Amino acid sequence: MKNILLIIAVLATGIITQINAQKYITKTGKIEIFSETPLFVIDGVNKKVASILNSANGDIVASTLIRSFRFEEALVEEHFNENYLEPNKFPKAIFKGKISNFEGVDLGKDGTYDITIVGKLTIHGQTRDIEETGKIIVENGKISASTQFNVSLKEYHIKIEKAYKKAIKDEIKLNVHFDYKFYR
Amino acid sequence: MKSLYLAIIGFFLIFSTPVLSQDDLLDMLDSEVVEEPEIVTATFKSTRIINGHSIERMVKRQLDFRINHRFGQLNEGTYSIFGLDNALINFSFEYGINDWLMVGIRRGTNKKVYDASTKLSIFRQTKGVKVMPVAISYYTDWSIKTLRGLNDLPDMKDAKWNEITPRFAYTHQLLIGRKFNEKLSLQLSPTYVHRNLVSVGEKNDILALGIGGRYKFIRRVALTWEVFYTNHVTKDNIYQYPIAIGFDIETGGHVFQLFFTNSRPMVEDGFIGETTSKWLDGGIYFGFNMSRVFTIGIGKHKE
Repeated sequence: MKNILLIIAVLATGIITQINAQKYITKTGKIEIFSETPLFVIDGVNKKVASILNSANGDIVASTLIRSFRFEEALVEEHFNENYLEPNKFPKAIFKGKISNFEGVDLGKDGTYDITIVGKLTIHGQTRDIEETGKIIVENGKISASTQFNVSLKEYHIKIEKAYKKAIKDEIKLNVHFDYKFYR
Repeated sequence: MKSLYLAIIGFFLIFSTPVLSQDDLLDMLDSEVVEEPEIVTATFKSTRIINGHSIERMVKRQLDFRINHRFGQLNEGTYSIFGLDNALINFSFEYGINDWLMVGIRRGTNKKVYDASTKLSIFRQTKGVKVMPVAISYYTDWSIKTLRGLNDLPDMKDAKWNEITPRFAYTHQLLIGRKFNEKLSLQLSPTYVHRNLVSVGEKNDILALGIGGRYKFIRRVALTWEVFYTNHVTKDNIYQYPIAIGFDIETGGHVFQLFFTNSRPMVEDGFIGETTSKWLDGGIYFGFNMSRVFTIGIGKHKE
């Protein structure tokens, strides 16, 4: 009898793990980038960011093409691609990480959860560890995540010529927002 | 009993879903995202190769203000400081009505010519899931030489319409360009020029093939060259193929083009149809084009 109970317990744990391993996806995540000096305004948005959130453990991954950033000024878009980010060499920006305080997040319950995201961000072929705060908002069963943080161009080996160092700031503001849909 | 217990654990472990790693999630993402064709951009630094148009255009709400200079011939010697004293200019405004349609107006000193142009971006070069090996644009230009006494025509303000139309010329070009890599782009420009009035013995129509390109050897500087083979140049007549070679220097919103050419006129029917100077005789003009691009009506950054 004890053996049969043990077997049922093991199988049940397996089934419960299956149910909890739900993933959420977005293919239209948004990242806005902004930087302003008296000489230059860099104001762009990428609405084709893809991301998956694994509700089993709070893992988040995101990936997007650098060429998907659109700028108000067509020349800024051209220089962003041709001179600075070099997407012909490094086509994607990728994030691999997790929500470090995921135990406090209940994706089944509506609410706004403060989260800390930890992981590795890869831009222009350079990978750096980042740790930023953000929010997960659950509303009517819809899950969205957002975060704002700065990125240093120097850290990702994005070279600004001496002549333009005053025109372009090293720190660029990123504003990230993902609206997730249930995946599988 | 223990072995049965172990066998069932084993059975369960084999068939249960493994824990997904972040790399697994990234692979899942890659398989979900539909790849779009990549549009090749910045084949040339501006809308001109040197004299002639490139496949590039202004996108919606972009305005290109250009001032083109042609100085006198280098063989004018030190007295005229190698032609610098004798400058002709041509200035133009070219505007993107939308991402594929650009219109322009221009005024040049040479024969006091006004012209209006349209450029249509028909195909963009793409790579990736869908490949289009070249970008193709169509360019057309209508020019009017308003110089008094031109070809003994009456002044425009006194003239009847049929005395004005001889001053017109038309150009049609198919611009076919390809960016081979970050450094090298090449373009073919089959061209048709029609001049309403020409000198005795000359044909009104000219067919030409432009061949040009650029080689970007450092980040903001490129070597450029351009030649037009035209069917109206013969061994015996005065006309020559227009040939130009120079540099493009791009800084922020400006593109500067510095070059040498044997053509003084800057409008298409001019440099294609009326080039008479010879490179080998020092009939070379130093030219300087400046292009400044503005975006009209940018909204304020929305927080």
